[in-house]
Amino acid sequence: MSTLQYRRRSPLAVLKGPFLLLIAMLASVLCGSVASAAPRQQQASSAFNANAQLLKQMVQHGQLAPSVKIVNTLAPTTIVQFPLFPSGIKQAFPDATALVTIVRGDRDDSTSDTVTVDVQKMPPNITFTIFFIELANKPFGNVQYVADLTTRGDGSGESIFHVITLVAFAMDARNPGTSQDQEGTTSGINLEHMGMWFSSLIDAQEVLNDTTLTGTIFDGGSPPLHAGPQAMTDGQDAPVF
Amino acid sequence: MDRTLLCFKERRNALNKRSLHLYIVLTLLSLLLGACATENVPTTPTGSATGTAVTGGTQARFPQTPPPLRTPDFGKVAPTVKVLASIDPTLIVQFPLFPSGIKAKFPDASGVVTVFQNTKANDFDAVTVDVQKMPPNVKFTVFFVEISAKPFGHAEYVGDVITREDGTGESTFHLITFVAFAADNRHPVTSADQSGDASGIQLEHVGIWFDGVASARQVLNDPTLAGTPFDGGITAFHGGPQAMTDGQTLPVI
Repeated sequence: MSTLQYRRRSPLAVLKGPFLLLIAMLASVLCGSVASAAPRQQQASSAFNANAQLLKQMVQHGQLAPSVKIVNTLAPTTIVQFPLFPSGIKQAFPDATALVTIVRGDRDDSTSDTVTVDVQKMPPNITFTIFFIELANKPFGNVQYVADLTTRGDGSGESIFHVITLVAFAMDARNPGTSQDQEGTTSGINLEHMGMWFSSLIDAQEVLNDTTLTGTIFDGGSPPLHAGPQAMTDGQDAPVF
Repeated sequence: MDRTLLCFKERRNALNKRSLHLYIVLTLLSLLLGACATENVPTTPTGSATGTAVTGGTQARFPQTPPPLRTPDFGKVAPTVKVLASIDPTLIVQFPLFPSGIKAKFPDASGVVTVFQNTKANDFDAVTVDVQKMPPNVKFTVFFVEISAKPFGHAEYVGDVITREDGTGESTFHLITFVAFAADNRHPVTSADQSGDASGIQLEHVGIWFDGVASARQVLNDPTLAGTPFDGGITAFHGGPQAMTDGQTLPVI
């Protein structure tokens, strides 16, 4: 009887010691990692982001438009989001929407901002131009052509570009002048709004079924005034970035 | 009798251990042999007379010859501009930057700008600025400008370059470049670019500026340097002098 018991237990008995030791080690490592992860998570969620806080205060004080949302980001990054609304396409595409997301890294060390423009329910298969502008509405003032966005067949689309955005400005260096941005007086004329335009007047006339539309400057290259009307705008008086 | 039984148990135990070890060794050996056998299955493509590759098993065919290169027409541009031979429909343009404001202190500073565009993708351009032998650990701003030399005219702030300890640095931007222009829509004007007349004032040159007049004064050891508008944000005119220029009269972009 005892021999039989010994025989049955022998393979386990060989492994039991190291096996138990291994389980104990794994358990201690696991407990240790869980215990050390908890304070780290707490630290990450409670980290103070001075740049984000400053931008939130600007929204509260009306220095940034009420449509602007400052995301709770980890320092030193800042993320600003705001919607675009249909302007020139409002009648034909009243449900068109757009969301702009601007990501800035460390203010001292980043070399440009990353901008993502996502659109939905826009005119399908059309190329739009994206401009930084002085004024959200006509006459728009000084402008900077930054990107294109071509919609898909379902009217959705997105465009990502890397360019100076949060301190974008226009100037003629022969007579640069100054203007106010959220933080004080800066060189040149601040460009703090965004809009989207039909890159082609012909497209706009077709999509909007309006042959009386006239050409605008809102696309690059020849010929002049070959672009169409504004399609989307941030629609705000106060800056959106 | 007990001693005999104990010896028997010990021997049996040892035999069990040996059997277990043997089993493990045999299992590992069979796994190893299996892996070697799998590796011996031919997967490398074999060439064929039609210039395509055949992969083992699936019979998929892939081209073996590179697409042809062609050099697209880029209009009338500066002699320093090199339009690279590239695969259709891409357009790749390169040109150098030369020291301007840093020439006395950093005569060997150099920069190469590479602009990439896929002309049929309704996409816009990717710009890479690479610099060498520049003032180390300094932040510079990059502008598209109307004129490469003073007074520079209309300007567009596109990005920054921060040099390393050894004076090298690079930066990549993704934005409208070849048809960049400045305009005030209240008083729209036209100007000529490589493709003809276009809206606004064409920005066809690239320059690099010190982002702070304070760092420029320190690097160039010249406390008389005045501030310039060539950086964004507060305060006004805190930018430094131009550091690098394409130095051309004809367009580079």
